[in-house]
Amino acid sequence: MRRVAKSVRSLAHSFWQGLREWCGDAAYESYLRSKNRDANCCSKLSRAEFYVEQLNRRYSRPNRCC
Amino acid sequence: MKRALSIVAWTAAALVGAGALGAIAMHRGEPLNAIWFVIAALCCYLVAFRFYSAFVAAKILALDDTRATPAERHDDGRDFVPTNKWVLFGHHFAAIAGPGPLVGPTLAAQFGYLPGTLWLIAGAALGGCVQDFVILFCSIRRDGKSLGQMAREEVSERGGFIAQLAVLAIMVILLAVIGLVVVNALKASPWATFTLAMTIPIALLLGLYLRYVRPGRVLEASIMGVALIVFVVVAGQWVADSPAWAHVFTLSGLSLTAAIIIYGFSASALPVWLLLAPRDYLSAFIKAGAIFSLAAGILFVRPQVLMPPITRFIDGTGPVFAGKIFPFCFITIACGAVSGFHSLISSGTTPKMILRESHARLIGYGAMLLESFVGVMAMVAACAMTPGVYFAINSPPSIVGATPEAGAATISGWGFPLQAETMSSMAHAVGEITLWNRAGGAPSLAVGMAQIFSSTIGGPRLLSIWYHFAIMFEALFILTVLDAGTRVGRFMVQELGGRIWAPFGRRGWMPGILLSSAAIVALWGYFLYQGVIDPLGGINSLWPLFGIGNQLLAAVALVVATTILLKMGKLRWIWVTLVPMAWLVTVTMTASYQKIFDPNPRIGFLSGANALLTQLAAGAVPAAKIAETHRLIFNLRLDAAVTAILACMVLILVVEAIMQWSAILSRRREAVLYESPYMATRWAPDFSGVAHDDAVGDTIGGD
Repeated sequence: MRRVAKSVRSLAHSFWQGLREWCGDAAYESYLRSKNRDANCCSKLSRAEFYVEQLNRRYSRPNRCC
Repeated sequence: MKRALSIVAWTAAALVGAGALGAIAMHRGEPLNAIWFVIAALCCYLVAFRFYSAFVAAKILALDDTRATPAERHDDGRDFVPTNKWVLFGHHFAAIAGPGPLVGPTLAAQFGYLPGTLWLIAGAALGGCVQDFVILFCSIRRDGKSLGQMAREEVSERGGFIAQLAVLAIMVILLAVIGLVVVNALKASPWATFTLAMTIPIALLLGLYLRYVRPGRVLEASIMGVALIVFVVVAGQWVADSPAWAHVFTLSGLSLTAAIIIYGFSASALPVWLLLAPRDYLSAFIKAGAIFSLAAGILFVRPQVLMPPITRFIDGTGPVFAGKIFPFCFITIACGAVSGFHSLISSGTTPKMILRESHARLIGYGAMLLESFVGVMAMVAACAMTPGVYFAINSPPSIVGATPEAGAATISGWGFPLQAETMSSMAHAVGEITLWNRAGGAPSLAVGMAQIFSSTIGGPRLLSIWYHFAIMFEALFILTVLDAGTRVGRFMVQELGGRIWAPFGRRGWMPGILLSSAAIVALWGYFLYQGVIDPLGGINSLWPLFGIGNQLLAAVALVVATTILLKMGKLRWIWVTLVPMAWLVTVTMTASYQKIFDPNPRIGFLSGANALLTQLAAGAVPAAKIAETHRLIFNLRLDAAVTAILACMVLILVVEAIMQWSAILSRRREAVLYESPYMATRWAPDFSGVAHDDAVGDTIGGD
């Protein structure tokens, strides 16, 4: 029973993570992880700065189709 | 034992799929249950994915999971982000699924359900999915380069320039035609117009919330936004019931055109976080919800398909649009089977986020199969309504007659019995003033969807709510394509203008932003205006033009793919891209020729212009209509010129590519591939992406 509950929790967690990734909710966390991996990196954008910068880049090329 | 079971299971899937296709093709007389469409499509997709995509992946592309993808090589947390394959599948599907697979099959239903359904399934499995998959693979191997860059490097310098110009031209036509679909859906409908108008302040509110209150918290903002949108769909009924408010939101086609043009300009020129992005978030959630609900509704209700398999209109005399089944069925279906625009997504965001090369099979091939399934569902929704009602909604008054009685008599005369009262009671049931002459596909699809949804939840009481929910869903994500497309078009105009005068190309320079936004809006706005004033309803001219443009872009993508396969030494398997390319070139060139030169004034732009000139010369045009007739003549000639230019651009690229292939095959030229050099992946074989957040750093750090 405990194993089933654990599997359900894990599945729900994966779904939630996937949903956050899909809609862009977790984009800033991905950015921070990437920056943290780069030892030479010094400056990081704030959440608000990253949000605007990311949108400007995303909507400057075709990202929605017919 | 396992292998034997697998063989039995796949043989069974293939036989069931073939049986269901046979049932769809051979069935005559009694209405057919929609479940056959679902079974046929799903079995064909499963078999195509399991065998054909595996064959392309292994034999032709030789996908290599030991090779680092651009997401690993350039991981910057911005453009290049390693992403779990299912999350990226969702991203890619949300990007490629637009109004095309919903509107195209709905319009093509005038030929009957059979031709469109067969092309949706076969065209996707053998053409559209292959194009998306191969272009995605090519872009992954080239650090995420765009289709234009690949065309320039692998085919020729001129080829790249032509591809860029073709994209801009096709985008202009696309934006005009989807704008026209929205105008025809909202015309004289205060409920729908109010609902859609309210999505703008909701998007602005979310934009401010996401920028200043909780930056980047997309999920919570979207949940709030979806709740507000459901509320305004219901509130629209109160507006429609109030004479004073209904008057404010009852707009003519020309007023809606002006409103959409102003909206497009604003969305392009305003900061992206304020209006465009929050609307896109809302649209993505509602689109996903509506598409899955439609699939579930069809499975639950299992409606009868009332449209015959083939109608008399395969001879080219169709009221929705003129032209014979070949080539116009293929041009009209467009995105549901093969879409050139997908190659821009497959060589845009997706290759920069893919974790492993093998994921390209699910994302490139699989997402297009799902889009094709959306097209099949749209076909079912359109064909599940009474054929007479379908033709009444989608035919212009110049074909069926200006009054309901005349329309009902004309449509009944075609063999599709219809009474004028049926249309008025249906309009009343869905909360509209009229459903006559609402060409464009959106209203008829909304009626079909509302009938399916209301059979599942709420019954006839909720028919009007479901209808307006469906209209809002279609219009919302059409406008999302329109504003995102206008913005991208603005950057293209700035880039082109920057070559002549450098400051114009600076993205942050306000006069440049305003001028380029005005230029791109003026371009698609003019075509939209011409569609709205067209006596044949606009869709008759603009949708084929859009279909031709879209399929020509697919031909460009397949030319690039074929050239790359040839350079990879895959001559033996080159038919995989060469056959769909040859088919698309044949279809689009035939359609282009007919749209320009066909002697039937409803098909040929030039003969249409000549027919109007003859009427003018004979004095058959009233004095008040002379100026308008001159404008119509100019528009028809403009459409002919645009079609000819698009066709010529692609012919030049095809000729350039054939010369290149010939030089390579005769060893006059060395086959040079512009792939990025091999770099081994540092990720462990079981590493499956960002969803396993904590593992990312550890896996890399650990190696």
